[in-house]
Amino acid sequence: MNIVKLGKKKIMFLHIVGLVVFFGAWELAVRTGLLPHQVLAAPSEVLNTFILKLTETKPDGDTIINHFFISFRLALSGFVVAVGVGIPLGLFMGYYKALDMYMTPIFEIVRPIPPIAWIPIVILILGIGMGAKVFIIFVAAFVPCVINSYLGIKLTNQTLINVSKTFGASDWQIFRTVCIPSSLPMVFAGVRTSLGASWGTLVAAEMLASTGGLGYMIQMGRTLIRPDIIIVGMLTIGFTGALMAKGLSLMEDKIAPWRSKQ
Amino acid sequence: MKQSTKNRLYLLLPILSVLTLLAVFTLLSSQEGTLIPTPIEIWKRFWDMMTIQISKATLPVHVWVSLKRVLTAFVAAILLGVSLGVFLGWSPTFNALVSPVFEILRPIPPIAWIPLVILWFGIGEMSKIFIVFIGSFVPIVINTHSGMNSIDPLLINAGLVLGANRSQLLVDVALPATVPAILAGIKTALSGGWMCVLAAEMIVAKQGVGFLIVRGQEMGDMSQIVVCMLVIGIVNVLMSTCLTKLEGVLCPWQFKKAK
Amino acid sequence: MAVQKSKINLTNVSKAFATKDKTVQVLKGISLDVCENEFLVILGPGQCGKTVLLNIIADLESMTSGEIQFASGKPKMGQLGVVFQRYALFPWKSVMGNVEMNPKLKGVDKRTRRELAQKYIDLVGLAGYENALPQQLSGGMKQRVGIARAYASESDILLMDEPFGALDAQTRYQMQAEILNIWERKKRTVLFVTNNIEEAIFLGDRIILLGGTPTSVKKEYVPDLPRPRSYTDAGFYALRSEIAANTDLAL
Repeated sequence: MNIVKLGKKKIMFLHIVGLVVFFGAWELAVRTGLLPHQVLAAPSEVLNTFILKLTETKPDGDTIINHFFISFRLALSGFVVAVGVGIPLGLFMGYYKALDMYMTPIFEIVRPIPPIAWIPIVILILGIGMGAKVFIIFVAAFVPCVINSYLGIKLTNQTLINVSKTFGASDWQIFRTVCIPSSLPMVFAGVRTSLGASWGTLVAAEMLASTGGLGYMIQMGRTLIRPDIIIVGMLTIGFTGALMAKGLSLMEDKIAPWRSKQ
Repeated sequence: MKQSTKNRLYLLLPILSVLTLLAVFTLLSSQEGTLIPTPIEIWKRFWDMMTIQISKATLPVHVWVSLKRVLTAFVAAILLGVSLGVFLGWSPTFNALVSPVFEILRPIPPIAWIPLVILWFGIGEMSKIFIVFIGSFVPIVINTHSGMNSIDPLLINAGLVLGANRSQLLVDVALPATVPAILAGIKTALSGGWMCVLAAEMIVAKQGVGFLIVRGQEMGDMSQIVVCMLVIGIVNVLMSTCLTKLEGVLCPWQFKKAK
Repeated sequence: MAVQKSKINLTNVSKAFATKDKTVQVLKGISLDVCENEFLVILGPGQCGKTVLLNIIADLESMTSGEIQFASGKPKMGQLGVVFQRYALFPWKSVMGNVEMNPKLKGVDKRTRRELAQKYIDLVGLAGYENALPQQLSGGMKQRVGIARAYASESDILLMDEPFGALDAQTRYQMQAEILNIWERKKRTVLFVTNNIEEAIFLGDRIILLGGTPTSVKKEYVPDLPRPRSYTDAGFYALRSEIAANTDLAL
């Protein structure tokens, strides 16, 4: 949109400059004591701690790899169940009015309640085991899936439906061969949101009630006043989230390359 | 079946589903030794909490405390977020410099910032406000940036031939064209911010709705928890509705119909 | 015919676009004259680069080679009136807001520019709609706002890029008569681009036919028909057939 266009090389150069300035200033600020060392660790320390934590279980009780797998497994379980239930539900709700009218009120009551708000009640009923956490993640991931799948069906181009009708297709056939494929971009948008929600809620759940996982790790970092551990955890959480989103994107390109404009 | 009969039956369904929900609830809560409160208990508890103080404040006060934190952080998030988003969209140089850092920080869930922020600011107001700020700032920047990038080039051309210089192009063309996207970002940011204040309050607070819910959990008081959950949901809906109304006022050109 | 003063002169204008693997030559050696106060129509099939040519004249795009001379000196941005096919109205501004945009950007005070804008709103027949938003208007009305806005730049030259291309047939015929009406009342030098042969003959003092790959000037026609012209006139039809025979089809 702009009148100025930068060449690829220049952009890459500026990227590097930006990163160097940011990390350099950060490192210097901590080294020279400009920013207090008790509350912030320099990038070099963070890197050190990360490498150390790959094998060292002290001081928080486990290696970062184990923490990662605990978190990843939990998030994925909740996510997969949510997607498996949410997408079909949303698709059917979008197409069959009876189901829509029946489910929507329940949905509209549940939807505005943030997933995190479910944590206390779930813990009271299900304890602090894996089941509780998976359920909370399920609630967080379920809602966006349903909504987006529902919208995806609702937004099916009426002209396509009409064309199918002129071919003599039944309601079910139209649903299967027109509405569902047409809704895939929105379904994927919902899955993408769900993924982010799963991961974020998992971290919250682990911070509130857990003995392992990345969320637990950063809480421990706070208790032990080890900002380097906290930052290592934060960056790992962020990086994993970004990686999963990228993986999803690649899957979407394979399954539904006709993505609608975001 | 006639369409009109069908339509009338359709209208029955929502009523049916709410009744089913209440029925299931009542059934579960009347079982021996269950913790689940009956709908009536919840109703009574709600009115209790409206007048009786928990931790030196009634329910409305707690809600207001939470809201205040959200709104304070929100104002800062809008001012800084829109500015950053506009700059990222307008200056390719600035974008190239700043995006990598933003892209590293962006995927970190705001909740994951809580331990670090507590380390920085202690357990006072600032911690909670800062978390909400992070949670709102990011969607606003992303939406504003995206809005700037999606401006119809035709409008830019029109601005150019009408004689706009670079700053006029930004202020008189680009910014108004981006307002719908900014508002969309603000909507996302508001419910995101509300979630963040909850999380922050659940971990470290002495007042606020998040605190109330955790208090209920500590006391094993299910009714309190359920009341809080419902109140949180209602506030969420109210905020969304207000924002949608605001959208209608600020961007009338998106909604008025052609004659 | 009396010798007319040249308002804009294009000599050997060419434009090539560089894509990933090759260079695409869109325009080659376009040379033409636009005479003062004439209604010149540039006619060409779809996708031939007519818009690119107009953008080059309006200084929105650069040319690869060639020269453009303006009799009154090269206009700065804001000194040319341009009408776009897709209206390009600012949706958040009312009709008045859109039309007064040019003088506003130039720093003209409110009262003067409002009077100026009102003059042109009246000229295009939209008096009473000053406070309407673009999406409350029909296509034809929107384009009239576009025309008023271009006129309000008080430039001697008006560039129009297929302004009626987005309108339905009925409105299109109406607007063709309208634009001539407006032009007769407030004479300007008009450069009008279209892909519609009838429209070209109906409107133009002169018609320049573009064609070929890369696009160049094919032929020039001067409709020797008195105004107001009629689509069903024999002379009109004859000229139409002649031009059609010479026109490339864009598939």
